Amino acid sequence: MKSVFLFGFIFIPMLAGGQNLTDVLKQGEDVFNKTCAAGYCHGAQGAGGGAPRVSARGFDQTFINNTVTRGIPNTAMPPFTNALSRADLIAVVAYVAELNGIANPTIAAGGGRDGLLEPPAAPVLSGDAARGRSLFFDAVRSFGRCSTCHEVNGIGMPVAAPIAAVPASLAALEALETPRVSTATVGGESMPALVLSNKSQAVLFYDLTTTPPVLRTEAPAAVQKRDGSNWRHSSAIGSYNEAELTSILAYLRAAVKP
Amino acid sequence: MRLLLVLLMAMPLYSQDGGPARADWPHYGGTHLSWRYSALEQVNTTNVKNLVPAWIFQTGDYAENLHSTPIVVDGVMYLISARAQVTALDAATGRVIWQYRYPTPRSGIPGSHSDFIQNRGVAVGDGKVFFGTKDNFVVALDQKTGREAWKVNVDDPRQCGCNITAAPLVVKDKVIVGGNGGDQAHRGYLTAFYTRNGRLAWRWYVVPGPGEKGNETWKGDSWRFGGGSPWLTGSFDPDLNLVYWGTGNAAADFYDGDRVAPGVNKTQDVNLYTASVVALDADTGKLRWYYQEIPDDVWDFDSSYEVLLMDRQIRGQTRKILVHMNKSGLTFVLDRVTGEYLGSFNVPEIFNWITGVTENGKLAGRYEPELGETRSFCPSAAGAKSWNSMTYSTRTRFIYTPTNEICTDVTPNDNKPVEGRFVMNGNFPMKLPPNRATYSHVDAWDPVTGKRIWSMPYKFVLLSSMLATAGDLVFTGDPEGNFFALDARTGNRIWSFQTGAGHRGSAISYSVNGKQYIAATSGWHQTVVGGAAAALFPNENFRLGSTLVVFALPEGSR
Repeated sequence: MKSVFLFGFIFIPMLAGGQNLTDVLKQGEDVFNKTCAAGYCHGAQGAGGGAPRVSARGFDQTFINNTVTRGIPNTAMPPFTNALSRADLIAVVAYVAELNGIANPTIAAGGGRDGLLEPPAAPVLSGDAARGRSLFFDAVRSFGRCSTCHEVNGIGMPVAAPIAAVPASLAALEALETPRVSTATVGGESMPALVLSNKSQAVLFYDLTTTPPVLRTEAPAAVQKRDGSNWRHSSAIGSYNEAELTSILAYLRAAVKP
Repeated sequence: MRLLLVLLMAMPLYSQDGGPARADWPHYGGTHLSWRYSALEQVNTTNVKNLVPAWIFQTGDYAENLHSTPIVVDGVMYLISARAQVTALDAATGRVIWQYRYPTPRSGIPGSHSDFIQNRGVAVGDGKVFFGTKDNFVVALDQKTGREAWKVNVDDPRQCGCNITAAPLVVKDKVIVGGNGGDQAHRGYLTAFYTRNGRLAWRWYVVPGPGEKGNETWKGDSWRFGGGSPWLTGSFDPDLNLVYWGTGNAAADFYDGDRVAPGVNKTQDVNLYTASVVALDADTGKLRWYYQEIPDDVWDFDSSYEVLLMDRQIRGQTRKILVHMNKSGLTFVLDRVTGEYLGSFNVPEIFNWITGVTENGKLAGRYEPELGETRSFCPSAAGAKSWNSMTYSTRTRFIYTPTNEICTDVTPNDNKPVEGRFVMNGNFPMKLPPNRATYSHVDAWDPVTGKRIWSMPYKFVLLSSMLATAGDLVFTGDPEGNFFALDARTGNRIWSFQTGAGHRGSAISYSVNGKQYIAATSGWHQTVVGGAAAALFPNENFRLGSTLVVFALPEGSR
């Protein structure tokens, strides 16, 4: 609990913006039911379930603000600052305050790590780009999806370096060269390798032989490396047809800022 | 002489060499047959009263719990804590040989399964120690040094909301791991990797995709987020080369309107292969047979629990059977070669979700949640038994299982699924049934006759695995911190030790240099079922912690 007292807070009355408290509490209850009561967590009206009861606990406003926004480290209680819109965050904090008998709920304001930050704005996507987004992260494709190796806007595994330049065309995507992929030989077996670090104690590299890539740690003496490989990006995109790849490029053009 | 011959001939049928654990405790379930039974008999009903701690290991990872099953191989113990701190210990002294800390995991979707901090154990094989992580990696450590050998990502927690809490299962040259997330908009699977290099060997989706048999048991596109995650650890029969696993509930949990077409016959094959026991070819991951225990599971009674493989006489014939309980406490006995239904029995004393089971294993008199209503169900989604395992003694031929008598008020809703988010579609606060003074019991059951042999009541809930030993003892722990031994034949409580924190993990037994040890995992938890227990018994303070307490008989008292 120490961290609660480490930072200064500016409290502003929640109704300063002219919102109706009843509406805010109703919105808060709705957010609570969908987010906090859900699953094995706090239950309807905060009565407790798989997670502790949060109604009539005598929580004070500061504790509620901090817990909802920052979560409780090392427990299943996550920070909701970036998971909810600011309006939803204000509403749910007010609702939990009401559940604890606080008559005139207020919320923390301000910036930095203590305030209620706006979640990053998601880019507005065209139909084709939106389709491309679904395809890029498509769980049905199992390890054949792009996000097995690429992270975009915080989703996907960052095996490859961040996508800096989007191929201009389907032909350019299919011809994509991968000069960083080298060939590692371990125990007499050669494999395409994306080397992450090459230190005196250990060599860390992704074995790209199959998907998902396997991060291996080997003693330097056990690994022989040479530049270049027979690995081709074009063989990793085989779960998609040309129309799908075109949509994926449209998504990347919208999502990747140069 | 003639009698001896008969006995000798009968022995192999019962002995099942692969069933009991001996000096080592090599697998999550003791052995691949998942009996959690130790053939060690140094500690017995007469001398158990002399047990004292031999050594204690505090993991230092106290905020949540100690859920895991320690593994012991050649006198070395491998123990994982909730945050995936893995320690190799001298199993005779508790001396730390090496320690590995998994770095802070990538965060998942807030408020999803991916934020639950639990780990139920490591697997050891091929010179490596394997475990799954909160952010869905499977990690292989060098068994001698604790250094990372390889790691591979199974899924992105920020997308699937899922994570891995189960101990992996090493089968020949592969390591197989299940995941959770089946209460969310997620499609469950098992994934097998080669132990040698971490490369993908196979993946089996619980919910079949378009064009695959079983996909037609799903309404519209609901198969995409059909749940069914096999979130615990399976078993393996080396003679049949089959891997057995229980699968989770269908998603959404308490509302089936979006996954089941109107008018569907609910006696079999609804939302395959959720709430089932499946037998997969160990080499390919191909489905050999399935038995769906709860067609259209609308109670979150998922069937993901342990699968006990045993050979028993049934109606005069020796059968290769399996015994499998789901959360409802309904326990199925199946032929493990074919999946044929052989019988079932129901362990809770209070239940109302069905009226019974027909002769051929069909659920009768289903009582289901209803939109717009709050209905009361027993048992609850917390389970007549939680995920902690039962045990099977080959001496008594009984299974021993903890049963909780908890009910729930279910108010379903028809919310639409969003990938990776909870889609339980219901509120389900737990409640205690009226007119009882005790809310759980340890029972001995004969799985073949379906008869309860004895029952030992307990005031609160029991959420720790059972351990049976050839000393005719049954061990488990309670939330108040007591680790205790029962006489396997009578249920009499003959020894108890206060370990200082509630029990939520799994005790084991092993020996080093001829000395038998019994290791108990002490450390309650505060989320999911542990949280529910805290809400049910608000005046109790079930203590958190994360400590292994290892018992042995003092020199001279054996």
